[in-house]
Amino acid sequence: MEHLHLEHVLQTVCVLESVVLRSFGPEGGQVLFTRDTGQAMLSRSGSRILTALRLEHPLARMMVECVLKHSTVTGDGSKTFILLLASLLRMIQKTACKEPNVSHTYNSRETAEASTARHLADKMLAFALEELDDIIAMGVVPYGCCLSWEDFTAKTKLPACTINHCVQKLLASFFHSRLGRTHCDFISNLTCEMLTHWKFKRDLPSSSLQFVNDNFAALHTPVSGFPISCSRLIEGQVIHRDFATPCPQTDHQPVKAVVVTGCLQPKLLNAGEVLVLGCGEQGREENSRKESSIVQFTAWLQSLGASVLLSAVKQSAAVLALAAQAEMCIVECVSEDELSLFAQLIKIELFLFHRYVHVAFHDSEERVTVKPCSLVICGTGEGQTDQYACAFQDAIRMLLSTWKPIGITATTASKKTFQPDKSTCLHVDNQIVKASPFQQYVLEPGCVIPAGGTFEFLLNHALLQHGSSCSISDDTIMGVPAVSQLLANALLSVPRHIYSYSLRRFLQTQTRLLKTDVSSVQVFTSDSGLESVSCKYQLLVAVLQCVSSLLHVDTVLHTHTALHTPSHRLANISWEGTEDERNTNSILTSFW
Amino acid sequence: MSRLVKKSPSLCTDLPLGNTDICNRLHLLRQLLRSCIGPTGRLKQVHNNIGGHVITTSTSSVLLPAISSSQPFINLIKTSILNHVSRFSDCGLFASILCLSLIEQAKQSGLRGNVATSVNKHLLGLCTSYLQRQDCGCKVKLDFCSSQSLITLARSIISSKPACVLTEREALHISKLAVQAFLLTVPCNNPGIVSLGKIVTVSVEGHSVLNSAVFPGLLVDMPDVFCLNKVENLHSNPMCMVVFSASLAGDLSDLGGTIEVHPGVDTDSQILDQLLKLGEQVVKDEVKLFICQKVIHPVLQQYLRSHGIVVIERLGITLMEPLTQLTGRGLYVLNPGISVLSSFGSKTMLHLQPPGDSAICTMILCHRNETMLSELKVVCQKTEHVLRLTLREPAALLGGGCTETHLASMDKVTETVSVLGCSQTEYLRGVEGFCQSLESVAAALQHDGGNSLMDLTHAHHWSHPADVMEERMEDSSGFCGCGLVESSTNQKWTYLNTKYPQFSPAPLFRVPTVQPRVLDSFTAKLNALQVAVETANLALDVRYLIQDMN
Repeated sequence: MEHLHLEHVLQTVCVLESVVLRSFGPEGGQVLFTRDTGQAMLSRSGSRILTALRLEHPLARMMVECVLKHSTVTGDGSKTFILLLASLLRMIQKTACKEPNVSHTYNSRETAEASTARHLADKMLAFALEELDDIIAMGVVPYGCCLSWEDFTAKTKLPACTINHCVQKLLASFFHSRLGRTHCDFISNLTCEMLTHWKFKRDLPSSSLQFVNDNFAALHTPVSGFPISCSRLIEGQVIHRDFATPCPQTDHQPVKAVVVTGCLQPKLLNAGEVLVLGCGEQGREENSRKESSIVQFTAWLQSLGASVLLSAVKQSAAVLALAAQAEMCIVECVSEDELSLFAQLIKIELFLFHRYVHVAFHDSEERVTVKPCSLVICGTGEGQTDQYACAFQDAIRMLLSTWKPIGITATTASKKTFQPDKSTCLHVDNQIVKASPFQQYVLEPGCVIPAGGTFEFLLNHALLQHGSSCSISDDTIMGVPAVSQLLANALLSVPRHIYSYSLRRFLQTQTRLLKTDVSSVQVFTSDSGLESVSCKYQLLVAVLQCVSSLLHVDTVLHTHTALHTPSHRLANISWEGTEDERNTNSILTSFW
Repeated sequence: MSRLVKKSPSLCTDLPLGNTDICNRLHLLRQLLRSCIGPTGRLKQVHNNIGGHVITTSTSSVLLPAISSSQPFINLIKTSILNHVSRFSDCGLFASILCLSLIEQAKQSGLRGNVATSVNKHLLGLCTSYLQRQDCGCKVKLDFCSSQSLITLARSIISSKPACVLTEREALHISKLAVQAFLLTVPCNNPGIVSLGKIVTVSVEGHSVLNSAVFPGLLVDMPDVFCLNKVENLHSNPMCMVVFSASLAGDLSDLGGTIEVHPGVDTDSQILDQLLKLGEQVVKDEVKLFICQKVIHPVLQQYLRSHGIVVIERLGITLMEPLTQLTGRGLYVLNPGISVLSSFGSKTMLHLQPPGDSAICTMILCHRNETMLSELKVVCQKTEHVLRLTLREPAALLGGGCTETHLASMDKVTETVSVLGCSQTEYLRGVEGFCQSLESVAAALQHDGGNSLMDLTHAHHWSHPADVMEERMEDSSGFCGCGLVESSTNQKWTYLNTKYPQFSPAPLFRVPTVQPRVLDSFTAKLNALQVAVETANLALDVRYLIQDMN
């Protein structure tokens, strides 16, 4: 049994921070891992780094779980998560040590501190859930702009129009943080191009993003040994299998394909079955009947004019031979993902690729807006293509959550119903938000703001103002002013790390931002990229939730239960907080 | 259950490129690879600790897999280069030396990591766009009307592998064969999409290299000396042959389940009856040649032979593919063909050649001993691949280090330094490191203590033996590395990796009679350049190293 103190939590998060910091911000780089298998992995993605650490310390694992929970939804923000977590915990500790809650009687100073910290965390979370969205809407949103789906799909057609670069910029700063500066423009252009091809005209933007997200495994092909600049889109779908039988030359003529999911020739004998050979011709007849049935089937396929057979399973040698005779080519063991995508995009036109089957589709009227295309991701090694593919999918997730309306989250939705006056000023406008000091702003889906700490600077300012505008009577350390000030200060650690190489830049950016009048903001001329306000908001709430759940744990029980007796596991023992201690055999040593 | 071992903590290194141990290892790797490059490169012997096979080589594709290191940096670079080599077969050493030099130079320049990578990326962009330009000074258009430049290209690859131990004459012979074989695999009578054929390589040990030869069609081993007298039968024209991919051994092994046999049932004889029925049919169809990928039942073999049929069994999967291409599609193929018996030393082979164009050819490689032969085989396969790449992009780059010096002296002034996020001085320092890395690859070609120089008019690469004094340099008549520029009295030189005044290389006035003597594959070198810079950038971008020590 081990009692947890605030210092333990802080220590743990500081170690995570020191790893993550190396890949954070414009000066950040990659982290190179080697597994026990000798396999190397290179990554700049916070969630991948944290997962690869394979932590044993239960607290650290809890933090990583929180980060992963957040980043699988939004695809972004895992490094910032750890930075904010560390900074918040430091602030809380500082406050709690200064003024341990003296109104109660505690048997030790530590317990008093822990209690104060816990209360503070709860207050902050409550404050964030209650008021943060309004503060962001008032203090941050006016400096940003809203992306609209049309902007971004029109991008390739109207390159001159500046607003259309918004999605590209948003993606570019995402890829900057994930893959580094050198490739971010190239990859973000490629992503935009791909999404433009996959745009469903009549549907919502999110449905098209969701489609690409769901089918991403079937939609990309990693190729190693080439520089990343060779990555490109190719028309049609790539099926990641080679032909099992020789492929006839088709000079761009339409071909017909048949998809089979089962074995065409049932096995004579399956494993475990017993074949009894007696006298007579019975067995042979059975076998020849089976054989003649495939002959008939192939003849039928031929009469249909099918020349390609996509099979989900491996076919027998006899089937391959018959198909080869019928000049039909077979592709075996096609993965389920690829077949389901194929089924959604039927009607083939042309063919052939090097080692993989490459299918292109005939244009049909109902699908004029969608141009099926597949992404070829090149890299110098498997690790790199893997990294690019991950970043790609996370970028799509990030876009999805950018467009997700925030009002949907349970807490704010319920709050909106209690305060109906707030919804009166809803205006949906896909233009740049027109700045006017009297206008009330709401957090709209698709809102973006310049990257490089802008969000944090603005929110810091807004929180401080909010705190001072509250009634002065509420002057305890648990009061709204104190809580919002604490949060405001914690936020500044993010830009501080972004400008870690130059304090001057930090101060310059801060003063420039705070001096600018909302009405004169020229968001779109700035060189820096963009980031999504809604992702930032979700991140902040997630971090506060994590802080509060971390501080609710006060003891770690190390149970030494043998693995084969699950009934002895102390699964039903829980303590304050609901942290189920699964780490049965863990030794309280962390990885460093 | 009780074997849960306490995990040992991972080893973490912060800013690994600042670590002297890691830097020393990278430097060592660079020295090792540097000593291998080029026609006068030094050979390396690879042997494992359990007394296995000893390999003598200087080829990156053989050498790099043999280098095993616990250092993840070395593995990172190694896999990148090997991936490149598996795609392009050439320029592996160029890419690895350039990559390692770039890392070293970036460290020496003291630039911030991100500045070094963006400058490298920018310069790479300049180089690749220059190489793809029509008026690129170090690119040669390949002319398919004459085999001359193809042979030069092939010979540059073959002579850059000293482990083959070839004389000048032998190297030329092999280069000519390689080009001949390559040309045979290009089908010429069907327009539209063509699929290239295949070269089947057969190696014969203990003969002179000059006995190596290329044959159109396929040569198949004839282990069965009893068939020799029946080969006369095969001269009928057209000839019927039958090819089986299924086993004709008559076993039931691959069925899966269990088989129970009733007493009194003789499965073996039943199966044999079926096989003999097949044999009867074959004899009735007047088949002259019977080939099976797997084993043929001895009774069936005997039956077929007694009817004057030539039987070849256990052909193997590697020969099946070209054989089906040669004979047509499918398994039960009866195809006209001509066959001749050719004899190579101890081997007797059946030569199958269809009457038309088949795009399949067989290359017989001879060499004095096994080690040299295996290296020669690897080199010939690489040459074939590189020659194929010329179909995609019919161009070649000047070899002998001239492309590297040319790129290094290229004008790299840019107005848009601010986009790279660095100052003018930082940019110039980055440029210097990049150019020095390129020059150091050219200089690596010199192994005998001689001097590597660059002329200040065309920026070609020159090497001089160590004993030539500087003042007498003008007298030593000769050509530059690629053989396009002849030395003249008014030429000025500079040593490589020294400071020289900025100049832009003058375009070369090409005399049609002077052909480059050394050419490098354009496609492979372009990719190698990109892979090298990208890998170096990746390595420079690593800020933290975590090694699982379990």
